[in-house]
Amino acid sequence: MSEAPEKDETPKKDMKDVVAAAEKVKCPVQKSQIFVEEFLSEPMCGKCHPCALGSFEALVRIKRISSGKGKQEDVAAVQRIADDMLEGSRCIKGKDTAKFLLEALKTAAFREHLEGHCEDRECTELIMYRVIPEKCVLCGLCKDACKYYAVQGEKQVSYRSGYLPFEIRQKRCVKCGDCMVACPYGAIEVVEEKSGVLV
Amino acid sequence: MAKLINLKIDGKDVQAAEGTNLIDAAETAGIHIPNLCYMKGMKGIGACRLCLVEAEGGKAPLIACNTKVKEGMNISTATERVQEVRKFVIDLILSMHPLDCMTCTKAGVCNLQKYAYDFEIKESNFTRKKFGYPTDEANPFIKRDPEYCVLCSRCIRICKAQGTNVLEFSGRGVGAKVVTANDTPLQDSTCTFCGNCIDVCPVNAILESDRWRKGREWEYEKIDSVCLSCGNGCSISVSRKDGAVVKINSGAPEGAAERFLCAVGRFGFDSISGDTRVTVPMKRVNGELKETTWEDALAMAAEKLKAAGSEAAFISSGNILNEDAALMKKLADVVKTKNIDSTVSLYSGPDAMNNATADLENADLFVLVGISPDQWKRVVPALDAVVRKRMNEGGAKLLVLNSGEPKIASVATAFLKGDEIKMLEELGQAVISKGVKAPKEMIEALAHVNPSDNAMAAADIFIAAKAPVILASPSLYKAAADLSLIKGDAVAVPLEANAKGVVMMGLTSEGKTFGEIVSSQTKLVYAVGEMPVKNRPDTKFLLVQTSYMTDLATLADLILPSAAALESEGTIIDYLGRIKQVNKVYEPAGDSRQNAEIFMAVADAMGTSLKKVKDTDIKKAAKAKFKASFAPFKRDKGLDIDVEQFIDDMRISTINGSRLLWLRELEKAVAV
Repeated sequence: MSEAPEKDETPKKDMKDVVAAAEKVKCPVQKSQIFVEEFLSEPMCGKCHPCALGSFEALVRIKRISSGKGKQEDVAAVQRIADDMLEGSRCIKGKDTAKFLLEALKTAAFREHLEGHCEDRECTELIMYRVIPEKCVLCGLCKDACKYYAVQGEKQVSYRSGYLPFEIRQKRCVKCGDCMVACPYGAIEVVEEKSGVLV
Repeated sequence: MAKLINLKIDGKDVQAAEGTNLIDAAETAGIHIPNLCYMKGMKGIGACRLCLVEAEGGKAPLIACNTKVKEGMNISTATERVQEVRKFVIDLILSMHPLDCMTCTKAGVCNLQKYAYDFEIKESNFTRKKFGYPTDEANPFIKRDPEYCVLCSRCIRICKAQGTNVLEFSGRGVGAKVVTANDTPLQDSTCTFCGNCIDVCPVNAILESDRWRKGREWEYEKIDSVCLSCGNGCSISVSRKDGAVVKINSGAPEGAAERFLCAVGRFGFDSISGDTRVTVPMKRVNGELKETTWEDALAMAAEKLKAAGSEAAFISSGNILNEDAALMKKLADVVKTKNIDSTVSLYSGPDAMNNATADLENADLFVLVGISPDQWKRVVPALDAVVRKRMNEGGAKLLVLNSGEPKIASVATAFLKGDEIKMLEELGQAVISKGVKAPKEMIEALAHVNPSDNAMAAADIFIAAKAPVILASPSLYKAAADLSLIKGDAVAVPLEANAKGVVMMGLTSEGKTFGEIVSSQTKLVYAVGEMPVKNRPDTKFLLVQTSYMTDLATLADLILPSAAALESEGTIIDYLGRIKQVNKVYEPAGDSRQNAEIFMAVADAMGTSLKKVKDTDIKKAAKAKFKASFAPFKRDKGLDIDVEQFIDDMRISTINGSRLLWLRELEKAVAV
């Protein structure tokens, strides 16, 4: 008989790692997304349908919500998936995922995301980085820090007038937050895209 | 009889044997519990979660496929709670399943379609998913389309259970795919093309490759019959549409270990309408075979038979039906010859072909004596599959006694390698030496034997078994049956489907044997069916009654076209002594007639009319009660044949006339 070599089936990540990864962020939608992503990447065994197929679908829906494209039915779908996974999945891992989602769904976050608000300013598609002109000293550190060439502007040079102010080009910005760390003056802030703060 | 357990399912009182699961128990009460991944007769894995049911007093729902009945249980199979989970799972599966039921071949028998209907899901509420996996349709037998897969893993489990082990999942969850090792097409894997994955697939993911536009299940007429391609004589269920066979499935009841069919039985039916068929009588004129009429042919046969008288000889294959064999015997009586024999005599003495029986489904130990069933070489493949299935699913054990190195020995619990008679003696003595009761003659006969350690270990296995089944090669049957005097049942496994029937109908020679007829001088040889004879016997007149243009037929003086396997009606007696009904699926092609009719017509032409054989006569002949008694530990002499070659010769026409030829060429090419 042709025996396939025994596969190493012990997952390298377990549910603890998944929870730990999710706890790094605050936004419940972001948390859910990371949780399900991490869950699917390793601990999900795929041995029962509600969990295997359900968590995949949940991820699709949560991504839609976190990117601001979500609709009421997406939230309803996540709710249904979580409910049925809790009821139907075979082991504790699927049930834990369902519980995590149900916890997150209790917050107002999901509803807010439908309107484009991310309270914790973590869902990248809903937020934008902005230079506060009043605080900016034109030092250029943020421009040096940006790996994506998303910051434009000219460093101030003594005795020279007529320079370009520092701004973040939204098309290039990947919202990594490096510029914010680099700025010693707190001149970069995160705002909600839909709040219309920026012109 | 197992203990009966009383429980309630949906308010109905149900009695079920101990150890039954809830799905089967509910089925007996006419309640269907939805499921996609459960296979009757095999362990439930609880993957699809459709079979969730609620038990009174229980907190969480239970999976019915893997929950055994318990006294006093009160089960509800369709509460709102579990229906919602079912709907949810079907909804999710539909989100990744092509919604083309209108052109789908499986429409009507698709479980997914059924449940979508039951739960009123028109289309999925979830996001559409498509993976774009290619279809594997590079072989003429099995088409695999992963797009339709519902990840139930039934194909994988059946393949594992029968020991072929070809299919496996790649990936997990959504986007998982059923693949062969390294995801090669089937013909590059170790697949034997038995097609049992087709039988278990609940959807259109695995299907016979030629089913497109050949009608759907509700258009088929189902006919139960028997495959006559080897000694196993598997039950088949033939689907016919507009007079043509569309597909053949296993006809054994669902959940039985015997539910198996190999590539020959499943796909060999093309040969019925193949180029090698003989459909008109032919006679040799000036050295060439020319078509003739039945009247002419029958008159010629009658004249020659009369002339030959007692020096005529009748030979037949072991594949002809009981009715045919009984009439052949009668025709020989009319001709007044005693030279009548069948191919069975090449590998079996008449004693081994009795109607001893055994219960494979409940056996907990198989003892294979001198036989090597092999799915890969297609030597009695169904038996190999049954044994492996019972081992993998039912926890049965296996003892192999063989002088060679059969493939099945690699999975044996114990393998006694060496001369089978010696091994039987050692095993018998080992069992006796451990204080087990045995007949007196046997103890005396074995007193001189000194069993090896191996045999002692095997004896422990034999003693521990409650219902051992001893399957022996016919030449070793008498010696092997001695073991059954201690415990269990013993049967001989012949190489042809109706070997036992043919012998019981009296095709055993009182004159020349088959070997002698073929090799010595006779006045006339009347050969019926396919046989491993390639040269013309030394005879004045060779009459061949066949369905196919065999090697022997090309040498004949007269050919009478007979109906092929699926064109005949009658019974066989299989290796377990059961009478099986063979039903006609096609009308005999062209002018061909069933063997029995031809025998009657020949007798008529000779001036004697023969009566049709009645069912009761067959039953009477088959009933001759068999009782095992002690026989010396000896092998029947002169019965050593090359099993593989023999089986190959017997079905060469089936293979050459069908798509099995493709497989044969492929296997040959790989072997080089």
